[in-house]
Amino acid sequence: MRTSLRARLTSWDYILAALVVVLLVAASLTQPGFAGGFNFANSVSQMSDKALLVLPLALLIIAREIDISVASVAGLSGVVLGMALEAGGPLPLAITLALLAGTLCGALNGVLVTFVGLPSLVVTLGTLALFRGLCYVLLGGTPITDIPLSLTTFGNETIPRTYVPWDIVPFLVLAPLFALYLHRTAAGRRTYAIGGGPDIARYAGVRLNRIRFGLFVVSGAVAALAGVITVARTSQAAPDGALGFELDAITVVFLGGVSVLGGKGRMPGVCWALVLVVGLRSMLQLGNVSGYAQSAAVGALLILSLLATNTAHRVHAALTRRRLRALAVRESAVP
Amino acid sequence: MMRRRSIALAVTLALGAAVSGCAGEDGGASKAADTCSSGPVTVGYLPKLGTDPYMTTLRDGAKAAAEEIGGEVVYTAPSEATGAAQIPFVNQLIAQKVGAIVISGSDLNGAAAALRKARRAGIKVISVDSDVATDARSLFVNQAKTSELGAKMLDSMAELIGHKGEFAVLSSTETAVNQNAWIEDMKSRLATDPKLKDMKLVTVAYGQEKADVNAQKAKSLVQAYPKLKGIIVPAGIGLPAAAEALSQTGDLGRVKLTGLAPASLIKKYIRGGDVQDIWWNVHDLGGLSYHAAQALAQCKVKAEPGERIPAGELGTYTVGERGEVVLGPATVVTPKNIDDFEF
Repeated sequence: MRTSLRARLTSWDYILAALVVVLLVAASLTQPGFAGGFNFANSVSQMSDKALLVLPLALLIIAREIDISVASVAGLSGVVLGMALEAGGPLPLAITLALLAGTLCGALNGVLVTFVGLPSLVVTLGTLALFRGLCYVLLGGTPITDIPLSLTTFGNETIPRTYVPWDIVPFLVLAPLFALYLHRTAAGRRTYAIGGGPDIARYAGVRLNRIRFGLFVVSGAVAALAGVITVARTSQAAPDGALGFELDAITVVFLGGVSVLGGKGRMPGVCWALVLVVGLRSMLQLGNVSGYAQSAAVGALLILSLLATNTAHRVHAALTRRRLRALAVRESAVP
Repeated sequence: MMRRRSIALAVTLALGAAVSGCAGEDGGASKAADTCSSGPVTVGYLPKLGTDPYMTTLRDGAKAAAEEIGGEVVYTAPSEATGAAQIPFVNQLIAQKVGAIVISGSDLNGAAAALRKARRAGIKVISVDSDVATDARSLFVNQAKTSELGAKMLDSMAELIGHKGEFAVLSSTETAVNQNAWIEDMKSRLATDPKLKDMKLVTVAYGQEKADVNAQKAKSLVQAYPKLKGIIVPAGIGLPAAAEALSQTGDLGRVKLTGLAPASLIKKYIRGGDVQDIWWNVHDLGGLSYHAAQALAQCKVKAEPGERIPAGELGTYTVGERGEVVLGPATVVTPKNIDDFEF
């Protein structure tokens, strides 16, 4: 019982949760307007599209893969949405086409990684440039601004009589589903197994390529949804929509305790990391801290978190070694 | 068990924050849109990029005006030049309850919805330097009429080369909207204006908004056209690069330059008399935008065409069509007036 309590207190999820609480309390006390509903709604809405990108990325990184093309997929899907609307298509059809485009992008990544066998970092680095380039080829430099009111309302207003912005709803629906998949299904356990050791997983009968391909397709589809939200939030389909979002998303995943080497990390941790980044950015924003300094702060947070976990692991390993040695000495002393 | 509890905790916290938000203060959106301040207000300045020297000069102009008539300047700094990146900064200024927002739009629509939200909260919105969607702001404080600049550059070139001889244009990119409009203006005036009948535009080259490409193109233009007497460079990066390159090869003097660029970047070449520049006083642009913001916030003007905005030492400006206020004709920068330009 004692060890489980200690394990719980030192688990990364709980450290993050504690950090979140400290940050929220500190910010509420020091920044006027932080605790207000208006700031809550804006800060949450601001991350609504990036938050979606985080979910499939966490799964991919746990499976020892990565998809850095997510922001470009989001941008391209937004462009498809805008062009469909411009051509006179109804909104539901335009959104469907955008989601389809994102899914196809994800499938392309998936095929190149699983069936052709190329490393995912290189593949998605290529498609990052490819999909972003397509945005400019398709649209030129001029954004499409004729976005229906219902969509811009979705991106800019809150649910009536609450301070919950509409555009965070897709995340609130999807996040529990991703957590359930990862922590409660056989496929989720296989995802961990692939990340923990692909060869062992293969011998254990896990169909690696099928799961990997599925993850890339889901990543594409969810990125497309994020792209639709970006269009809604910014009232335009721009070729530079969602530009650079992949870095924030990857930061949150690592901050959430997902291992770079795969096989480790949990959804609650990732969600706490998301809240932490949202809260930190919001606090700095109200303090009129520049965009550059905000990015620096988030970067520093990531480095510090890595240092903290690394140190904790070392201390833990050292303690274990010492206990084992003491045990061995006692046993040899009493034959 | 632990995992489930952790998820539950996250959800509870989020809901708690949402609900406490409901019970909290008024979101600001229900305030009347026509609030008038009785005195000077705080004005939030929102540039495309916080580090842009054009924008920091503009900010200094606004701060100087604030010392003159009271009120305060809050300067914010997005790190990416997209309309979307400006949204959190607009929201920040709303949450801080500034009286007016002055924005240089990174694009027309990116932050427009947030700006409309600000206007609903009673905050006056002005665009400066680069416009946003017309219904998202009341006034657009413009540095110069776009249509005027092409003619000014051609006149400057005519003066430099004595209304006679071959010249070239070194533009930015093939698709640049303003530049192409200016070049068309130049071509049509060359064809019709008798005063310019001895001048010949030999070619249009493109410097791609890169210093090294501009330098290279300027050198090859001089070699390709031995009789070339001048180059018009209507791009802020191009003109300093071309001046630097031609001064190194020793061609500057035989070949004159004019165009559009921050005067401070080519000060020494302008002093030498071989380079002219069409520019405006960015410091004054900041001052005018600040005066306009205070006048709007105190309901001294309503942003209707024909209204007059007093701007202290700068004089009085008239609101034009679609709420456009023009700082004034751009100036030809010569050795005589170069010291008036801080940027």
